[in-house]
Amino acid sequence: MLRSMLNGAVAMGWLACALFFLRFWKQSNERLFGFFSLSFLMQALTSAASGLIDAQDERRNYIYVARLVGFLIILYAIWDKNRGNRRR
Amino acid sequence: MAEAVYILCALTSVACAVLLLRAWKRTQSRLLLWSGLCFVGLAVSNVLLFVDLGLLPPSIDLYMPRQLSTLAAVSVLLYGLIWDAT
Repeated sequence: MLRSMLNGAVAMGWLACALFFLRFWKQSNERLFGFFSLSFLMQALTSAASGLIDAQDERRNYIYVARLVGFLIILYAIWDKNRGNRRR
Repeated sequence: MAEAVYILCALTSVACAVLLLRAWKRTQSRLLLWSGLCFVGLAVSNVLLFVDLGLLPPSIDLYMPRQLSTLAAVSVLLYGLIWDAT
């Protein structure tokens, strides 16, 4: 019970962060914020999924793959941003 | 296979934290500081994930510390976004 509540709270927090970055992206048209928003949306989905999936379920590992993809999006976003600056 | 994913999660989140905090040092943008701190919390959570599921026996369960460090990371970022980011 406490576990699913924590998962829900974390998922809600990530969603709120994703929305903030979505707004920044809309306002500034900066791709970095769009990638951040996407990555945090991904984290929200993984939190929600790990709250819903049973601890013994084999598909649990895919949750961590999705989390990894979320982090890779951030790394790509930073690389993309730095590349853009250098070109200018 | 699963352990490789846990290690990669830990490594990528540490890399994100380092890159964001370095960018913050350069630009002094508060948003980068809060994002960097958020990823520090996530890195802690992911290192715990590897220790919990990869190293420790199943009898020891670090689920709560992992979840609480993730919650702390989210809370730091939300605090920054709401009060301080601009």
